[in-house]
Amino acid sequence: MNEALELLANPWIHGFVFGAVIVTALMSVTAYITWFERKFAARLHSRMGPTMVGPKGLLQPIADGLKMIQKEDIVPRDADRLLFNAAPAITLFFALAVAAVIPFSPGLLASNLDIGVLYALAVSGLMGFPVWVGAWASNNKYALFGGMRAVAQAISYEIPMVLSALVPVVLAGSLSIGQIVEYQIEHGWFAFWPPGPGIFAFVLFMLTALAEGNRIPFDIPEAESELVAGPTTEYTGIKFGLFASAEYIHSLLASALGAALFLGGWDGPFGIPVFWMLLKTCMLFVGVTWIRWTLLRFRSDQLMALCWVYLVPGALGLLLITGLYVHVRG
Amino acid sequence: MISILETVGFYSVAIVILYSGFRVVTTRNLVHTVLWLGMVLGSTAVVFLMLSAPFLAAIQIILYTGGILTLMLFGVMLTHRDYGFTTVPNDSRTQLQAAVLGVFTFGVLAFGILATPNLPSQPAAVPNTQKLGEAFLTEHVLAFEVLSLLLLAAVLGAIVLARKQDPQVDGEVDGPRIPSRRVGQPQKG
Repeated sequence: MNEALELLANPWIHGFVFGAVIVTALMSVTAYITWFERKFAARLHSRMGPTMVGPKGLLQPIADGLKMIQKEDIVPRDADRLLFNAAPAITLFFALAVAAVIPFSPGLLASNLDIGVLYALAVSGLMGFPVWVGAWASNNKYALFGGMRAVAQAISYEIPMVLSALVPVVLAGSLSIGQIVEYQIEHGWFAFWPPGPGIFAFVLFMLTALAEGNRIPFDIPEAESELVAGPTTEYTGIKFGLFASAEYIHSLLASALGAALFLGGWDGPFGIPVFWMLLKTCMLFVGVTWIRWTLLRFRSDQLMALCWVYLVPGALGLLLITGLYVHVRG
Repeated sequence: MISILETVGFYSVAIVILYSGFRVVTTRNLVHTVLWLGMVLGSTAVVFLMLSAPFLAAIQIILYTGGILTLMLFGVMLTHRDYGFTTVPNDSRTQLQAAVLGVFTFGVLAFGILATPNLPSQPAAVPNTQKLGEAFLTEHVLAFEVLSLLLLAAVLGAIVLARKQDPQVDGEVDGPRIPSRRVGQPQKG
């Protein structure tokens, strides 16, 4: 046992083990998130949702997964085969890679990176890129348009996202997510204290996270009424499944990031830290899902206007106020 | 055990960088070229991580892989009319130009590295993001501010270039008249 613990202290082995655990957990959770989302959406629509497979439709994700694997794997004749096949995997890779720096409890994280916030934003910002490459490789005009929109949206919304995530960084004086959480445990959650910049930055962060993940109301890249299915038009079976799960994982991890940066992470009145972190993440994810099934889709120019006319100046102002606050606080 | 893993890690990354760099200059499909360049830039970030410079690694990913690469891909896509697989010209003149430029850049870099005295052989033990930030705002504040000014000028220039000409302000527009509509203004109702 001691030897095993010693081995775990080695950063390489620690990384491999935790990486494997987190990826496995995330992938299984993602399957059941689809079940939850379908049930939840059904309730909002006064429907039943999946009921047939297993009790309360609980086996539905497994049936979906099996179906996706069985479907014919189609590669368009004029597609760029290599990129077309690689894109879904790379997208999923970038979505999963964010998990490396998310602290679920003081000890339970894959890597306590000194610049965790920056890393998470960098990697999650890259997710639009392989989507676009896959869209281009499909050699389909709808896919290409969708991919263009996806990457334009990802680049634009990355700016307010980084700026809003800088608010807790400035307040805590650290780029490490673990240290930001510990600062909040000591001084109060950033969403509530100091009152003002924190809560606005939190709302901004979740909003931009929605946009980065191409979720409604920001799912313009795959607006099915205009673009068939956007970047994923030519994708079938499990490759489409990889894109879809990457999207879910991105939303889930963005919720986790929001919980850690603004809601005190694993901070809770009693019990084990992991529970509180997971609870907050789930609450945020439910909120994200709720928005998805309530709102309509923006138009492309409205989306860009929202970003550049309101969110970017707003985020800059917030950052300025936060800086002044920290300066006055000394 | 750790040192072996580190050595293996370093050489694998080095091989990836060199091979991708080789492919950047030999690939004829323009989009593939840009993606190979992405491999080079991304792997360089891994080298920064191994040298305990995580801040540089993250910036490398955000700026180069996230920003510049996307910009290049956009450039490739928007400047060629056919969406097909654009290829780069491969005549002797381009090759000569590329060779001269490559040798020149290599020479400047090699000279710079060889001329710098006292390069540390080991990376700093402590991650030095904080030191980096302090150095930016105290020791190198002038260079930092000049760079910000340069970027601001670039942003303004981009806006001026991208702005649609307003006939009432700028006089007659060349070419077909584009019905002017405020782009980016959400419409009421």
